[in-house]
Amino acid sequence: MVFSIAYHFLRERSAAEEVAQDVFLQFHRRFDDFRPGPDREKHISHWLRKVASHRCIDYVRKQRTQPASGLAVSLEDAPPPSVAGEPADHFLNQRLESLIASLPEKPRMVLILRYQEDLMPEEIASLLDMPVRTVKSHLQRSLEMLREKIGRSMGNIR
Amino acid sequence: MMDDFEKQIQQALSRKDPSPFFEARVLAAAKRDARARRANWQMWWASAVAASLLIVTGSAWQYEKGVRERAAGEQAKARLELALKVTSVKLQKISQKVEHIQN
Repeated sequence: MVFSIAYHFLRERSAAEEVAQDVFLQFHRRFDDFRPGPDREKHISHWLRKVASHRCIDYVRKQRTQPASGLAVSLEDAPPPSVAGEPADHFLNQRLESLIASLPEKPRMVLILRYQEDLMPEEIASLLDMPVRTVKSHLQRSLEMLREKIGRSMGNIR
Repeated sequence: MMDDFEKQIQQALSRKDPSPFFEARVLAAAKRDARARRANWQMWWASAVAASLLIVTGSAWQYEKGVRERAAGEQAKARLELALKVTSVKLQKISQKVEHIQN
């Protein structure tokens, strides 16, 4: 869960592992705060997702202030990968991943939490400390943008 | 209810696993972190003990200095009183002698 959020957000395995490691270390330090109880696992999952999301956003912002960052390259502008002979789904997935990676930080994280973690807008709002209507608006706008770009590059799949 | 496009996004964002050594790396980092925090804690304790000792020693020194000064003051006062007493006795005798000669 933690690595996967970081991986889809950062699109770089080593950076995602670095962020995930930080999150787990912080969890290790605060382990005693999670008192045993019926909601303990839920509480831990919520905490891990929250910290992972914020760490990812901070990581990208920090990278942006440092020159010569690998993450500074816009993935949106990268040419679609050459996958001659592979299934169309694989090609579509790769294109989608690239387009999602090109979204601004907050909408990107909203999309990842919605479709990877299968969370509802209310839960996402609580994780990212933003109003529910902002989450919904990010989702709607991101989906529109993705549909349009995918439609343009691969034909309408609606 | 998700449409086909949203399902496609869900598929593109399917869970990914970290490298096989990730878990071992995190465990090693956690051990290092615990050691470092223990060392920091010990350093904090040592500093606290040193600071306490300094305060106690300083206070004791101040107290002893006060006692010494008070004792020295008392001694000086006693000497002065003795000196005055001696002087006044001698002065009285001289004055009596002078009166006796004059008479």
